[in-house]
Amino acid sequence: MGGDVTPLAHGIGGRQDLPVPLETAIVAAVAALVVSFVVLAWTVRRRTDAVLVEAARQARGAGSADALRRTGRSGFAERVGTLVDSRGWRIALRTVGMLLFLYTAMVAIFGQDLEINPIFGVFYIWMWVGLVPFSLLFGEAWKAISPVRTINAGINWLRRDTGASEGGGLYEYDEARFGYWPAIVGIFAFTWMELVYPHNSYLGPVRLWLAIYVAVMLIGGQLWGSRFYANADPFEVYSSLMAKLSVWGRTTSDQGDEGRLVVRSPLANVDTLAPRAGLVAVVSTLFGTIVFDSFRDSVPWLKFTQGDNIVARHAYLADNLALFLFPLAVAAFFCVGTMLTGVGDDLDRHRLPGLLAPSLVPIVAGYVVAHYMSYWWEGGQQTLVQASNPFSDGSNWFGTANLSVNFFFAYHPTLLADLKVLAVVIGHILGVISSHKRAIAVLPRRHMVTGQIPLLITMIGFTVGGLYLLFAA
Amino acid sequence: MRRLMAIMAVLLGTVGLLAGCGSSDDNSADGASASASSGTKPLVIDITFSGKDVTPHGDRVDVNVGQNVEFLVKADAAGQIHVHSTPEKQLDYNAGTTEIQVGSFDQPGLIEVESHALGKTIVQLQVQ
Repeated sequence: MGGDVTPLAHGIGGRQDLPVPLETAIVAAVAALVVSFVVLAWTVRRRTDAVLVEAARQARGAGSADALRRTGRSGFAERVGTLVDSRGWRIALRTVGMLLFLYTAMVAIFGQDLEINPIFGVFYIWMWVGLVPFSLLFGEAWKAISPVRTINAGINWLRRDTGASEGGGLYEYDEARFGYWPAIVGIFAFTWMELVYPHNSYLGPVRLWLAIYVAVMLIGGQLWGSRFYANADPFEVYSSLMAKLSVWGRTTSDQGDEGRLVVRSPLANVDTLAPRAGLVAVVSTLFGTIVFDSFRDSVPWLKFTQGDNIVARHAYLADNLALFLFPLAVAAFFCVGTMLTGVGDDLDRHRLPGLLAPSLVPIVAGYVVAHYMSYWWEGGQQTLVQASNPFSDGSNWFGTANLSVNFFFAYHPTLLADLKVLAVVIGHILGVISSHKRAIAVLPRRHMVTGQIPLLITMIGFTVGGLYLLFAA
Repeated sequence: MRRLMAIMAVLLGTVGLLAGCGSSDDNSADGASASASSGTKPLVIDITFSGKDVTPHGDRVDVNVGQNVEFLVKADAAGQIHVHSTPEKQLDYNAGTTEIQVGSFDQPGLIEVESHALGKTIVQLQVQ
């Protein structure tokens, strides 16, 4: 008979969201479609404008001139800039990061292998899911608190090497050649752990994952300096990409160091995302793995992988392959769509996916927000409750152990569904406008409208696909 | 840029309006189903385990908020069913036929019912 009194040892994730109602999904898809063609029509009306001149300049200078113009030198940004660039503020954030790191290490090493160990919430929810809202609101959040950066700086200080140039590595990181590729390995390592590995809710594997992560980051930091973190730390790369949709940006200076803090629109901010090796891959990986996460709960996939067929007999292998196939499919769809876009003779088609990839960031962000909204709300609170009891002995370190989780979204499924599709549609609108601005910079005038259609269809494909999954999974 | 902003504002407004209309429809539908469900019979789900197979495997079942759920398990060996509600439930069954009272759910959502030993999802309860 029912023995629901035994405390569960393992298993993350309880109740999930209801699917978005069909009507809501259709309304959102239609809205996305309408917006897309309005933006396209807008091209026709404005194509003789000065926009072209500016866009062409932007294509070369990755938007810095345009962004600068729109920035303005508001006193607000300057005051905030003075604060966040001050030594005290930086040290304060680094201290917060180190305290979180030490806490995580403590529960990973000395905590019990039980579901209520906060390590699981810290790892899967606070770190991976939480970095998105923080980065969207406050900019490069992970970079500011990154404990591996702090430890690396500490090691450099001990070596009496304060690193006058680029955080002091032994070698120069070849950004043009390797770009984001090391981070993609890290993102796959995380998502494999989160979505595929069957023992992902046991302490041992999580501890091992984190140990390897810290070790690789510290060795990499010593070898290639702090530029390594901007390209290889999966959390920092993810966070900094999302930060491009915040209102916080920085001017670029010729020395390559960070410029002044500026406030600009998310659209102008995403324009400053410079194409880099692996950008298409990193965006496709983030999108593809989350799509896989949605898709594997859908009824057709469950029926197929648990039925009586060759795939079902190798379900674990199928999951492993699917984790890679989904990002590959996303990347292939995006590359084909962008390369079909009409270009002049002076631009190689193979460069188009890279040039247009920043426009995919808002679409990914919209879908990520929709996918994780309620999970972050409930799981984040649950982790806060568990955090007070790090060794599962009933203690109440921070006074949060007796708080009860607020299940607001669970009781307002319609509001949740509306917010989810709104996030997807806003992401789509930003993505389409951004890609449109980039497209008119690279398209010859005679292809101005027709040339954009494959690109537009690609973007609509992603958005409608995302909406379909919200409805079906 | 200003025109773009205007277009966006109008479109966002339209989206909001449409979403608003859609949601009011849903609310009335929710209300109707909820009032219809009060006092309904418990939902009985037949589950059959045999060897490494389980039937059903992956069906989605509609459950009303507050409705009692019952599993009627026929199995060739004893085992355990995990109900991924919040909080989670672990339910034991024996070889032969076992009747399990799962209870009711007061939060709308999608709840996976799994056999961890087989690594399979049995049903997804769509509570609304």
